[in-house]
Amino acid sequence: MDNSVPPPREDKIFLYSLLPFASVIIAALILLGIILLDTSLPALKEYGIGLFMRNVWKPREDGPGEYGLLAPIIGTLETAIIAVIIALPMSLSLLILTEEMMPNKWRDLVSTLIDVMAGLPTILYGLWGIEVLIPFLRDHFMSFLHEKIGFIPLLSCQPLSGSSILAAGMLLSIMIIPFIYVIIRESYSTIPQSLVEAAIAYSSGWRHYVKFKIGLIKPALLGGLLLGFGRAAGETVAVALVIGNSFHLSSCIFAPGYTISSLIANQFANSMYYPLMSSVLFAGGLFLLSTGLALNYAGVKLIRRSRKLCQAV
Amino acid sequence: MSSSLDHKDLFLKIIVAVLSIVALIPVFSIVYELVIRGLPVITGAGLKFFTKTAPAPGDRLYGIGPALVGTVELALISTAIGIPIAFFTGVLIETFRESRISQIVNIIAKSLMEIPTVLIGMLVYILLVVPTKTFSIISGGIALALVMMPYTLTYIEESLNQVQYKYIEAGYGLGMNKKQVAFKVMVPIAKRGVVVGILIGITKALGETAPLLFTIGAARNTINWNPLEPGDAIPLLIFDYIQSPYDNMKDIAWGSALVLFVLFAILYSSIRLFVKRVRI
Repeated sequence: MDNSVPPPREDKIFLYSLLPFASVIIAALILLGIILLDTSLPALKEYGIGLFMRNVWKPREDGPGEYGLLAPIIGTLETAIIAVIIALPMSLSLLILTEEMMPNKWRDLVSTLIDVMAGLPTILYGLWGIEVLIPFLRDHFMSFLHEKIGFIPLLSCQPLSGSSILAAGMLLSIMIIPFIYVIIRESYSTIPQSLVEAAIAYSSGWRHYVKFKIGLIKPALLGGLLLGFGRAAGETVAVALVIGNSFHLSSCIFAPGYTISSLIANQFANSMYYPLMSSVLFAGGLFLLSTGLALNYAGVKLIRRSRKLCQAV
Repeated sequence: MSSSLDHKDLFLKIIVAVLSIVALIPVFSIVYELVIRGLPVITGAGLKFFTKTAPAPGDRLYGIGPALVGTVELALISTAIGIPIAFFTGVLIETFRESRISQIVNIIAKSLMEIPTVLIGMLVYILLVVPTKTFSIISGGIALALVMMPYTLTYIEESLNQVQYKYIEAGYGLGMNKKQVAFKVMVPIAKRGVVVGILIGITKALGETAPLLFTIGAARNTINWNPLEPGDAIPLLIFDYIQSPYDNMKDIAWGSALVLFVLFAILYSSIRLFVKRVRI
């Protein structure tokens, strides 16, 4: 093998000539971390950990003001949870449909459609969300649920404009369905032929066969769920258009709310007029970056484990 | 497998089919609404829709000139900056696969892909907009380059990875060094993948909104070709106009959304000419 001999001089020069390009990518992530930390330091010093635990938003031009990111943090978690709860069964259904129920010709058609969904500019989802999904949810879905089962605290408040945690969660679910689908399908298609044959031989019917195969990619399902959660938590403009942008903390999903990224999108331009507000928003960004990286790390690890499980057999 | 007429099997199949149809309805609805609401706006305004500057609130139904120019400029700038970096980094990861640096770069690139793009906007704001004291198209272009890089890189790297080892071995057998193997063997064999990677990057950059929020300045009263000055972009215009209380602004947002969709469709179809599966 070539690799065992010491690299000749030319190869070293080649590596060094490629390094400047790669270092841009490394520098981007490191700079992002440093700048977010540096710019959020004033807010972290002023408010301490309370910045992430309190719900208050009182900007002042002549003083530090009072800020707490609890409402947007909860809003981020709530919308992302709603999104994955809806998206996971949907993408799993699409997986079973395309992989186990369709002839090749149809399957290609549906996969193409899903690829289009995945690539569609997010602003188009936002536009559709505010103009089509919200009126639909408000008139046909929310008021119905509220009237029939409004005793459940989650559904207890009167739906007003339609802009709400629920609308954001549903729009996000639509956006991450193709994303999760692609991840789990990739693992599904790497199930080795020997296992597929075993599944055919030992299952007593189609249902058992499918269940067995899905069981084999369980870690990838969890990984796709985490990566989908991360995607949903970081989405900005589409959410900013449908969530209603309110700091009011409510247990009801028909009420408007905020997420960290939609807060940044809405307030960043004004934040220059208030001494600590931009620093607070950067702290929100730091929160997004660290949760995003953690989710990504865990998700990728799970998906790898799923592949290994299959290959080990 | 036993008979598929089993009742429980059928029940599961029905659930799967229904959920799948529900999952696919939005994409049909989006395309339908884009055409129904966007097309009349564009046909009504004619060429003026694309060439004029922003209208006054409540006034006319056309004028996305600055946004169209800005989007073209942004695509050019982000491609010019992002593609070379993505390409050569992809070559590095693939040719020096066993080295530590290659693994680190690979992990960082993959993480960069999952970072909310609004953070990229904040980064470029601090690094470029604050020091130069002005919003500019070039700042937006750099932000978009950072967004597109990991996508293009990943695609190029994966297609280089699929080059069969016997060709690479043959290259070394002929006495080639790594540079020659990379550019005379691997890249030529994987050139379709490289082109697709570039197109995917452009498609990704074209539709992004969040990195532009704090970088290009949403200047839409003059058509401006100077990338050092503030400008506009189609996604940003849609985001601003659809939140306006004026009907004419909302209509223009729908017209612009159709324009964006058509641009997306053109890029998407040209990618399909090269490969069957497109992952953006």
